[in-house]
Amino acid sequence: MRFTKSLLLAAISASVFALLASLPMLATKHPKYGGTLRLELQIAKVSLDPREWKTGSVAAAENARLAALIYDRLVTLDDYGRFQPALATEWFHDASSKNWQFKLRPNVKFSDGSALTAKDIVTALQPVLPPGLQISTTENGITIRGTHPVPDLLEQLASGRYFIFRVQSDGNLLGTGPFLLAESSPPTPAEANPSVLKPAHIKFRANEEAWAGRPFLDSIEVTLGDPALRQILNLQVGRADIIDIPPDLVRKARQDNLRVWSSPPATLLALRFDDAQSGASDPRLREALDLALDRDTMANVLLQRQALPAPALLPHWLSGYAFLFGTPMNLDRAKQIRATLPANVAAGSDPLRLRVDAVGDLMKLLGERVAVNARQANIAIQLVGHTVPSSMGAVPPSPSTGLHLIAWHYDSLSPRTELLNLAHYLHSEVSADALPDTGDPEKLYSEERRLLGERQLLPLLLLPDYVGIAPSVRNWTVSPSGEWRLADVWLDSGEPAASNTETIPSRNPAPGVHP
Amino acid sequence: MLADTTSLDEAISQFVERVAAIPNLRGPLRLQFFQDASFATETGKDWQETFRKEIEKHHLAVTDDPAATPLRVGLAETPTQLVFSAGTRVSEKDEVRFLTLPRTAFRAASLPVAPIRIERQLVYQSQDRILDASSLWNGTEGGGMAVLTYHNAAFSVLRLDSSGQSTQTIPLAAAVAQASRDPRGELTIRASDGVVLLPTKSCEFTWTASTEAKCHAPKSVWRTATVLTPSCDAGGWKLLSDGADWAMPDVLQVVPDGSLRQGSAALLTDFPGPILSINGEQDPASALVVTKNLRTGNYEVYKITLACGN
Repeated sequence: MRFTKSLLLAAISASVFALLASLPMLATKHPKYGGTLRLELQIAKVSLDPREWKTGSVAAAENARLAALIYDRLVTLDDYGRFQPALATEWFHDASSKNWQFKLRPNVKFSDGSALTAKDIVTALQPVLPPGLQISTTENGITIRGTHPVPDLLEQLASGRYFIFRVQSDGNLLGTGPFLLAESSPPTPAEANPSVLKPAHIKFRANEEAWAGRPFLDSIEVTLGDPALRQILNLQVGRADIIDIPPDLVRKARQDNLRVWSSPPATLLALRFDDAQSGASDPRLREALDLALDRDTMANVLLQRQALPAPALLPHWLSGYAFLFGTPMNLDRAKQIRATLPANVAAGSDPLRLRVDAVGDLMKLLGERVAVNARQANIAIQLVGHTVPSSMGAVPPSPSTGLHLIAWHYDSLSPRTELLNLAHYLHSEVSADALPDTGDPEKLYSEERRLLGERQLLPLLLLPDYVGIAPSVRNWTVSPSGEWRLADVWLDSGEPAASNTETIPSRNPAPGVHP
Repeated sequence: MLADTTSLDEAISQFVERVAAIPNLRGPLRLQFFQDASFATETGKDWQETFRKEIEKHHLAVTDDPAATPLRVGLAETPTQLVFSAGTRVSEKDEVRFLTLPRTAFRAASLPVAPIRIERQLVYQSQDRILDASSLWNGTEGGGMAVLTYHNAAFSVLRLDSSGQSTQTIPLAAAVAQASRDPRGELTIRASDGVVLLPTKSCEFTWTASTEAKCHAPKSVWRTATVLTPSCDAGGWKLLSDGADWAMPDVLQVVPDGSLRQGSAALLTDFPGPILSINGEQDPASALVVTKNLRTGNYEVYKITLACGN
């Protein structure tokens, strides 16, 4: 805090004269309570159990967005790089950063009215904490002890799977967050055409007892699995308030004058080499393919500038140094290296088989583009379609593949943890010395360069998350970990709020009656 | 890790020392800068120019010659840190150097200054949520101010002297209420006492007595639009804010008061975040405006004075 009277005598602007047809007559406006937010997501199903989420999966990120409605974390990170108290009000660590203590917020209740205890925290976090970290209760909170220093523990706890919940006897999970799960219906056959599934729905309603205050919205209705084009139409005609937009439709949405928000790059699209196909493990083949990939064209033409070329494993917003890597396209060099390989490797009779794990036209188009680039370096690539169960439920045998097109969603606020997760995903050995506990960026950079040098994973593109937002949605903000702060969102109906009355609904409002 | 740096220039100086210490690094160097979009307007070219000057101090010449050794230099904002990075190739070897500092240590640049019509002066800032502010000077400079804060569902009134130091804190223990995502409160200061109006209570306190504030059911209505009357215009100008979207910078609108001039014209001034309160009760020519700076996250109090002439 400081007085800045002398700091800034800013005689500001304001020489603009404007016609004002209808100014509000209040000194300041305030958010309005009430209303239902209609949210449409393309994913077909959701898991609200963090223990089931797979690190780095796109599905886990979608799950976390909805889970953030009903669960809290120990701490959060604000938009200004400051850790803020959530279920923990204070925290301390020793000089080695191995031992951390957290003091819990008093009087926090789960949505069934029962009190949050330190034991709940331990039970929720222990299954998801990385190896080497042990959590236990203390007199007024919890302690987390590491066998090694964990200076980035707060970054970890403020992102990813580290939500606090309680498992009930029936297996359902309870949270302390701003909303609670009210209804959930699975996809059902349509009456007119039973072969067509009606999308699943989830309804959340406001938690009147939320420790951070009741959210502005009364409820949130989520529709899962609607096609993207239908979602865009629904947003246009006012049947939806928030939708997720795939990158290949962002341009259309903007041309349609929709309000589109984009995140920092959140998903890495990459090629992962596997040893299942002979020849795929040859480092010369990997280097030749790496040098043949035209990432700029993929980002700028195929994805119409809605993606960025990926020069590294970690995005720039997380590491701060990704620009140092650069994208290495060099077709002549790729051809030279290819010429040193046996003629039958990745050739016409035995092409390198590329499997596209994710469903969707975009991934298929990207796979085809990879094949075109590879062909320019005399490397034959054959796309293998997404494997789906047959009508008998059996999975047809798929040919061994040497290459996968994968999507990796960044879910940690710690670059060190994210790189460790990626290394784990690649089954790459990372020694404790290699990835330092001090967060030394030079060693982090060195380790990332080493992983890139192995070329087990060739980064292609970085995709932001795109969200379409109705004009009536106010206070739209997103946490640094990518969670939508829907507890702060309110709906502006265009009618002025009364200035001299309290607009917070009563704790037990009559059904259908809202301010 | 540079733990306690508060000046970007100091950080750049230390970073350049590390870069200049790269073995066998010799000029002339061709600098290639990379920076986050978030720095484009605030620190902008400043840090690049500072870097250039610092590198020249180390007797490393800088050139635009495309044949010169490139030195790639970046400044990025990660979720928790500012990261300076530099990379070059020396004697067939890649060399990189880094310097990081916590984002919270970064001192944001001043807001830009524009021609005078409305005088705007940042008089106080705090990480604690400020709901309202009132001057104490009654038209006389040097009296300080009072701010109403909200922290952990508790309200307090802070009395600040002219240097911004807190001289008195009056906790409104009797006003503790259910936690709210939109805490509201208005502060009215009289000669030796004050009133805090809350959604469900009205609390009175005195600066002189050590007794706690007394709260009772509210009897007043919320403040309506603030009207300022500069010495050259007795007609009055109304201060209005445009919206309540906490994610958007706000605009303070200054419109002529009175039916004859209503809706005809306005002066506008941009704020670094949403405007949370406007209080012009103490001085006919100035008001205190509370905003949340979306760049820094701090709550800021500005003194708005309508200046006569241009």
